[in-house]
Amino acid sequence: MTHPAYARPETLDEALLFLKNHGADTCPLAGGTDVMVDMRSGKLETPYLLDISRLADLQGIAMSEEGFSIGAGVTINEIYASHLIAEFAPSLIKSCAFFGSPQIRNVATIGGNVGNASPSADTVPPLLVHGGKAMLASESGTRTVAVEDLFVGPYRNSIRSDELLLRFILKPVGTGFSDFQKIGRRKALAVSRMSMAILADREKDGTFGSIRLALGSATPTPMRMGAVESFLVGKQPDRKTLEDGARLMAEEMVRITGRRPSTVYKEKAVQGLFLRMLVPLLEKGAI
Amino acid sequence: MKTYRMIPIQFTLNGKKTGLEVGAGETALYVIRERLSLKGTKEGCGIGECGACTIVVDGKNVNACLMAAPQLDGRIVMTVEGLGSEKALHPLQQAFLDHHGVQCGFCTPGLLMSAQALINETPQPTQKQVVEGISGNLCRCTGYQQIVTAIEDGAKKSGGEV
Repeated sequence: MTHPAYARPETLDEALLFLKNHGADTCPLAGGTDVMVDMRSGKLETPYLLDISRLADLQGIAMSEEGFSIGAGVTINEIYASHLIAEFAPSLIKSCAFFGSPQIRNVATIGGNVGNASPSADTVPPLLVHGGKAMLASESGTRTVAVEDLFVGPYRNSIRSDELLLRFILKPVGTGFSDFQKIGRRKALAVSRMSMAILADREKDGTFGSIRLALGSATPTPMRMGAVESFLVGKQPDRKTLEDGARLMAEEMVRITGRRPSTVYKEKAVQGLFLRMLVPLLEKGAI
Repeated sequence: MKTYRMIPIQFTLNGKKTGLEVGAGETALYVIRERLSLKGTKEGCGIGECGACTIVVDGKNVNACLMAAPQLDGRIVMTVEGLGSEKALHPLQQAFLDHHGVQCGFCTPGLLMSAQALINETPQPTQKQVVEGISGNLCRCTGYQQIVTAIEDGAKKSGGEV
């Protein structure tokens, strides 16, 4: 293992100045649950580690005029324990319930989960259905991008080397139907084989007024499934509609990723997951 | 801002102030085992999956193999050596013995640390809370039942002792 140099900024300005000068040679370090694994395996060789785990500017969960804001340095466990998130983004809570293990949840951050850009990052499908935006800071100012645009490929993000993820801004939704589920090999410590987040609202007559669906681990980057959403809007969630929706979901997934050895499993699994999540609407009737 | 190859850190380890210089690429696990010679904390997988290296940092259980050593700076750290004393076992340790929660023993220090963090937060955990609390610790010998029973019993007998 190479021995990088270490820096721990006291302030955000210090961190951004460091990234301006050394960004291309720097890996930010927060919870370390991906960085330390990648350094050990040799996949990551970085001249500098910038320890951002104590920066106050990356902390905090708050409702503000810009929306519902979650600091990039907030840990998975802090999200899981947050009453605000339980109220306004319950699918995000669910994605944190079975995230890694207790030890991982105590240190892993939402910024790290997103920034690592794994196709199976559990917090991402919920961020997508909440119209999540990421605020990025650099010496020259801040910019805001949609969370889906942070992902350019598996483990590749569009964050510039002089930028730092500051926080995420979500559209708070307190009503309607909301869920996140994943398929893993076991409950704890399982990388998701597939994950899905749903946020839906129904009209008085029971039809879907709006529905947002996001899929993780099934496509090269986590993404909203727009075609399935448009198919379902305005329809009653009866069994036939849901089964057609599930099939469309599988078709969309195959269209995006192409046929792979895993497709045989995944096109069945995606339909199963979709139905498992939406069939309760049939039984309960109302949302 | 200065960068360092060797970083001077100070932290509280099992109640004692500890200071040394660590490398940025070193893990907390390496420092605890190899530099400070506390061999209770085990390296199993080295990638955060088995929990054998679990320690308690500021009251929370974390994987020492995933923590960069400089991140220990200023923290209050407990390893399995900080449980109990030379004279008497901690009630959790005694309960592991009483309920046969130890077979090969490799996972035991990590399990004790997760149990300790659990009862810091929830002094009287339910069985479900115990199972969730140790879900990041793998044991390949016992089948967990004895461990879960031991932690439930140890928690009762700890009675707020931490």
